Amino acid sequence: MENQPALRGALGLYTVIFITFLYAPFIVLAILSFQSGPEGGPQFPIIHWSIYWYKHLFGLTPPSRVAPLPIGDALIRSLILAFATMVTSTLLGTLTAQAFRRRFTGSGLVFYLVVLGMMVPGVLVGLGVALVSTYLGVDRSWWGTTFLVHVVYTFPFAFLVMLAVLNRFDRSVEEAAWALGVPPARTFRKITFPLIFPGVLSAMLFAFTLSYDEFPRTLFAAGGDLTLPLAIYGTFSVEIHPNIFAFGVLTTLFSFAILAVYGLLMAMSVRRARRVAIQEEIA
Amino acid sequence: MRAPSDGTTLGSVSVTSPSVPARPRWTDRYGTWLLLAPGTLWMLLFLAVPMLMMVYVSFWTQKTFSIEPKLTLQSWINFFSSSTYVGALVTTVEIWAIVLFFTFILGYPTALYIGLFIRNKTTQTIVLVLCVVPFWTSFLIRVLAWRPMLGKEGAVNLLLLKLGLISHPIDVLLFTEVSVIIGMVQIYVVFMVGPVAVMLGRIDRSLIEAARDLGAGSWRIFRTIVFPLTLPGVAVGAIFVSVMVLGEFATSAALSGQKVNLLGNIIVTEVGSLKWAFAAVAGVVLTAVMGIVIAALLRAVNLREEL
Repeated sequence: MENQPALRGALGLYTVIFITFLYAPFIVLAILSFQSGPEGGPQFPIIHWSIYWYKHLFGLTPPSRVAPLPIGDALIRSLILAFATMVTSTLLGTLTAQAFRRRFTGSGLVFYLVVLGMMVPGVLVGLGVALVSTYLGVDRSWWGTTFLVHVVYTFPFAFLVMLAVLNRFDRSVEEAAWALGVPPARTFRKITFPLIFPGVLSAMLFAFTLSYDEFPRTLFAAGGDLTLPLAIYGTFSVEIHPNIFAFGVLTTLFSFAILAVYGLLMAMSVRRARRVAIQEEIA
Repeated sequence: MRAPSDGTTLGSVSVTSPSVPARPRWTDRYGTWLLLAPGTLWMLLFLAVPMLMMVYVSFWTQKTFSIEPKLTLQSWINFFSSSTYVGALVTTVEIWAIVLFFTFILGYPTALYIGLFIRNKTTQTIVLVLCVVPFWTSFLIRVLAWRPMLGKEGAVNLLLLKLGLISHPIDVLLFTEVSVIIGMVQIYVVFMVGPVAVMLGRIDRSLIEAARDLGAGSWRIFRTIVFPLTLPGVAVGAIFVSVMVLGEFATSAALSGQKVNLLGNIIVTEVGSLKWAFAAVAGVVLTAVMGIVIAALLRAVNLREEL
């Protein structure tokens, strides 16, 4: 069936339309972020092109009836939170995946318990944690309860990534080090870690971006101090202005920057692995 | 590979030093549990306990602005005797079914094209990545992006007017059930495309060729070979989409103008007015719905056998 040109053409055309459907809203949003301000609204036509709303984000415009987005502190909180979540969930994911390299009773149960963390809807986890903290009389906060539920969400991703990496890796290298009397900690640092590094990097990428963008869990688990997604959600109920579009463009560029850093580190680790392999070949 | 030479040197080392330190027994016996403990405890304390707490609190007594740990069925009775709450349950299931249907109908052809019609592995990956890239925009921004698209003066209406397809702008596009469905389909359809494309990529091409040589037409090949082999992918995709759509509330809050109330929206509203017990009831109902849906999907296709 894949040799029929008509079918092939039709499906190809459909795929192009489909991808347009995926991108269209964002393209429209990006175009509208260059609307003139402060009188231009969040719709067509563009009165005239300007970067007014980008300046508005950074407080570089004279005060107008449009209030600046309350994102300064929220951005810093979100970055700190994402970083802490990244470190913790990558660590937990690596430890747990390491344990899964041996058979043990109850492994199925632990596996499902961990994977449940990414399956249960955020609104339920958030509600549950809010209930527990109310019951215990603990104040909810972005650095406390929110951090806990973010790790609940990102740890399963890190775990699955590390499980996939450890399953593929050659045990004999590690065993050789042990047999030669290298202490476990040193073996991990010198042998295991370099081998699993690409996996660790992927787990970190997942954890950071998921936490940075996490909204439903945060809604109930955070206290009065907002994270970035909460600050954006706050603008939903009021009239929207193109400044939120400009912010959308910038935060997307930031995500691409993280992706680029990831790609760069990945390429470096691959190149290093290749160099080591060549050196071994020569030796 | 250099394994053999390594092996011999290793062998000689272990022979010359028979007292190679066997790793301590202590870590042997408890090592696995030590490695497991932090992650498992974290999930028990911050996932399992909160979920159980939610079930427990759903039986507490709701006072005006607080809850008391006195067990009662009152919140449950209130939930199922209120047309708002039962209506939200019905809407949730309705929206879930419609969105799932459209993610399948719209996603499958794309997956088919990527998995079966693109031969080159690199091109395959590039097109799949192209589908995933929009995910690098913040979820809430992606939802919000539909507002300038669908409004009365939005891009879609503008385009249709220019093309002369309509004479008056369509105003049911935004702040209706339609906009919620369009938004959710666009956000979640990729989760259907991915798993199906992966399953398609695994199909042994010689099967299709054999069928063609034996005279089967394209439709027959699709119906009897290709489609059945992608069913596990469809099930996995359906589970992803279902879990996310059932737990939704942000898309409906942003795009429905409060006309569409899902169970998620009920939970948010109830928590906002400190009606914890009601929120907990809605949460337990939502969990139950989700359990039923996932169990049904797992029953439709035996994942363990297929993967």
